[in-house]
Amino acid sequence: MTETDSDLEACAREPIRIPGAIQPHGALFVLSPADGIVLQISANAPQFFSSPVRPSHRLEGGLAKLSCDLLSWYPTDAPNYQCILPEQGLAILAHRAGGNIIVEAERVDAQSLEETFHRLRAFVGRLNAQADVRGSLQAAANFVQELTDFDRVLVYRFDENWDGRVVAEAGNGQLPNYLDLRFPSSDIPSQARDLYASNRLRIIPDIDYTAIPLQPVLNPRTGEPLDMSFAQLRSVSPVHLEYMRNMGTAASMSVSIIIDGRLWGLVACHSVDPHLVARPIRDACDFLAQSLGMRIAALERIDEAARHLQLSHITSRLLAGMSTGADWVGALAAMGDDLLAQVNATGAAIITENTLHRLGQCPQEMLLRRLLDWLEKANGGDMVATDSLAVKEPLLEPLVETASGILAIRLSELHPSWLIWFRPEVVHTVTWGGNPHKVVRESGRIHPRNSFAAWSELVRYKARPWTEAELTAAKDLRAAIVGIVLRQAEELAELTNELQRSNKELEAFSYSISHDLRAPFRHIVGFAQLLRERERNLDEKSHHYLETISEAAVAAGRLVDDLLNFSQLGRASIVSKSVDMNKLVAEVIQSVSGEFQSRAIDWKVEPLPIAWGDATLLRQVWFNLIENAVKYTGKRAIARIEIFGREEKNQSTYVIRDNGVGFDMAYVGKLFGVFQRLQRPEDFEGTGIGLALTRRIVEKHNGSIRAEGELDKGATFTFALPTIEKKGRAIA
Amino acid sequence: MPELRPILLVEDNPRDLELTLAALEKCQLANAIVIARDGAEAMDYLYSQGAYEKRSGGDPTVVLLDLKLPKIDGLEVLERVKKDNLLRHIPIVMLTSSREEQDLVRSYELGVNAFVVKPVEFSEFFKAIQDLGVFWALLNEPPPGHSRYGKI
Repeated sequence: MTETDSDLEACAREPIRIPGAIQPHGALFVLSPADGIVLQISANAPQFFSSPVRPSHRLEGGLAKLSCDLLSWYPTDAPNYQCILPEQGLAILAHRAGGNIIVEAERVDAQSLEETFHRLRAFVGRLNAQADVRGSLQAAANFVQELTDFDRVLVYRFDENWDGRVVAEAGNGQLPNYLDLRFPSSDIPSQARDLYASNRLRIIPDIDYTAIPLQPVLNPRTGEPLDMSFAQLRSVSPVHLEYMRNMGTAASMSVSIIIDGRLWGLVACHSVDPHLVARPIRDACDFLAQSLGMRIAALERIDEAARHLQLSHITSRLLAGMSTGADWVGALAAMGDDLLAQVNATGAAIITENTLHRLGQCPQEMLLRRLLDWLEKANGGDMVATDSLAVKEPLLEPLVETASGILAIRLSELHPSWLIWFRPEVVHTVTWGGNPHKVVRESGRIHPRNSFAAWSELVRYKARPWTEAELTAAKDLRAAIVGIVLRQAEELAELTNELQRSNKELEAFSYSISHDLRAPFRHIVGFAQLLRERERNLDEKSHHYLETISEAAVAAGRLVDDLLNFSQLGRASIVSKSVDMNKLVAEVIQSVSGEFQSRAIDWKVEPLPIAWGDATLLRQVWFNLIENAVKYTGKRAIARIEIFGREEKNQSTYVIRDNGVGFDMAYVGKLFGVFQRLQRPEDFEGTGIGLALTRRIVEKHNGSIRAEGELDKGATFTFALPTIEKKGRAIA
Repeated sequence: MPELRPILLVEDNPRDLELTLAALEKCQLANAIVIARDGAEAMDYLYSQGAYEKRSGGDPTVVLLDLKLPKIDGLEVLERVKKDNLLRHIPIVMLTSSREEQDLVRSYELGVNAFVVKPVEFSEFFKAIQDLGVFWALLNEPPPGHSRYGKI
């Protein structure tokens, strides 16, 4: 602890309630309510009262009536007693303290109360015209400065930790600017704050005053010091006077602003030279401060209600946005402003398994990953909130500037997925209106600049704390997100169930086709054949009809077979091994050539890379592609069919190109569909399943296939298969 | 000349039955062809029970067995025959419309001697039946202790 610290600690222990002395701008005596005897007086009492005021005596002469009034006021409920003694030129203020009555007297000047009253009324009007707290505070500062003629008036607000901040300022330029200056809570110790809450107005007209002692210093009946908590004239602590001196002020006045019984802030007035403000004006200031308090309370309630409303709008906008699309993360990121407003953050990040969105003022990705690790390890549950991250985890200090405060909600139990809001270090957000270089009057060990430094130290690594409402908003948003994610998962599960069911149905269906649909076609073909053999003398037409019946039934049977092949492939499991594609292609070409012996085909086959897959199925692929190539080049005098391949990093690619009828690229999407044909059946026969089957086989191998073509020029089919090392899909 | 042992044809579908018979007829096999219309009937014949209690002759030279049958289906007939020490030597050829892989696998697991998917084209079907008939009725050498012409 530094020397200054220990001095300030001493200040907190100072007996400020029982100084045993008063300031010289008034006089005081203590009256016993039991017998009207004066117990103690301030040494300057004779200079103020024209009738004698002596310890151990009753009041006499011009003060006898006052004594009477005080004794009859004492048992009532009225908190204090006030009157003016015109013949003495004194304003009297009395209050109860420790079973006795403290009577304070100050000289009244000639200022008309009526004029003050008018100005006050005008002020209340102005105050009510202010739409927000800031405007009200400024209006109050301006008015107090005008009314009291102090060189500078500050409105000072306490936060929840009793640290203070200057929130409004009015002045004539004689004293430095303190707007936005921060003070640590130790500047106004709790003892002083308690006093300020109960005794709302203090004035020190001249810091160089000579304190007037009480006579006797202790209560002659009890031997106790006088509790002067509520005495306006109470002598102030020397530490406070030093502080004022260091601030360059010779006079000060402060008025408490009380809201709902709590000390909300102060109106603090300072003057370069000694400055006494008459009691009526002081009373007006007190009245003003309390009006301001009520106004602030009302405005803050309105603000809070408006904020709640706004927040609920934001929440519903976020929810609506998230629930419309499948990609709720993207939707959330797209509503960045709302997302930040939800908890009053300056930045945010959404990190999921595959995505990272950075919004507003957000740390770099590398730092985010470090933060993510910490969140995962911190084991803080589904929500982690702190206003001083770097204090909790020194390794995260580099994040201080943008992320001293974090509010993080977990988005997934399975992956490290988080939505994290950020708040910067408070010190980075504070601008002190005053130019520190101009503050020449400040000196000594305690003064506002020191206060600012002390406060900065206090809030180092700290962000503005997350409020209960903000934490609730975050929790609500998390519940909504979890709900959406859960719903999507359920929908997915339902879809999977449905797919499995329809797959089963399909299986049953294809099984029954396999058995029941093939038989009739077989019968048609068989009996037609038997009929043909039996009736040797059929005329040509009858023969043709029989022939057509057979061909149609054979074609239908083939269609069923192809369809079954296709559906079985979906269920079959692949037995993968190394496959020599050169051998497969040679075999297929040989078998196809046998079928089309009359055709002139110019084959150009280059060496092909080894494939990894199911040889039977891959043979089917080559068969379909080669048969297609041969089929669709049928109208060329010389058909040209090229087959080549190449080995790439993680995949092998195979290409077959022909100079056949080709196809219009506009229909390329239909090419691989089941029963999709781009040619008329009488031009080229086929069931329309071949390419669909081909694609299915290739995809079953985690590969892919694509086609390019030009009408009447030819077609090129390219398929790619992953090599054994690679797990992912190969792209043709 | 000893009597040739018959071929047992188990087929429920009358049209398939007719076609198969037409095909076998073309083979001009001397073997008699016994027809069973469901699995239960086939079992009766094989065990000489029920309607076949008094039948003459020994085991059939081959059983052409449809897969899908009423009462006792083809796979079950196959299973019972191949588990019976007295019957297991009888060659069984599975005839089926099915191209289902699991049927094929199951049949071989149960010890089928051949598995034929009936082709749609009649000529192929014809050829398949003829080949089967000829192979099993004429060419296949039965295991020791059984003759092509009945028990020694």
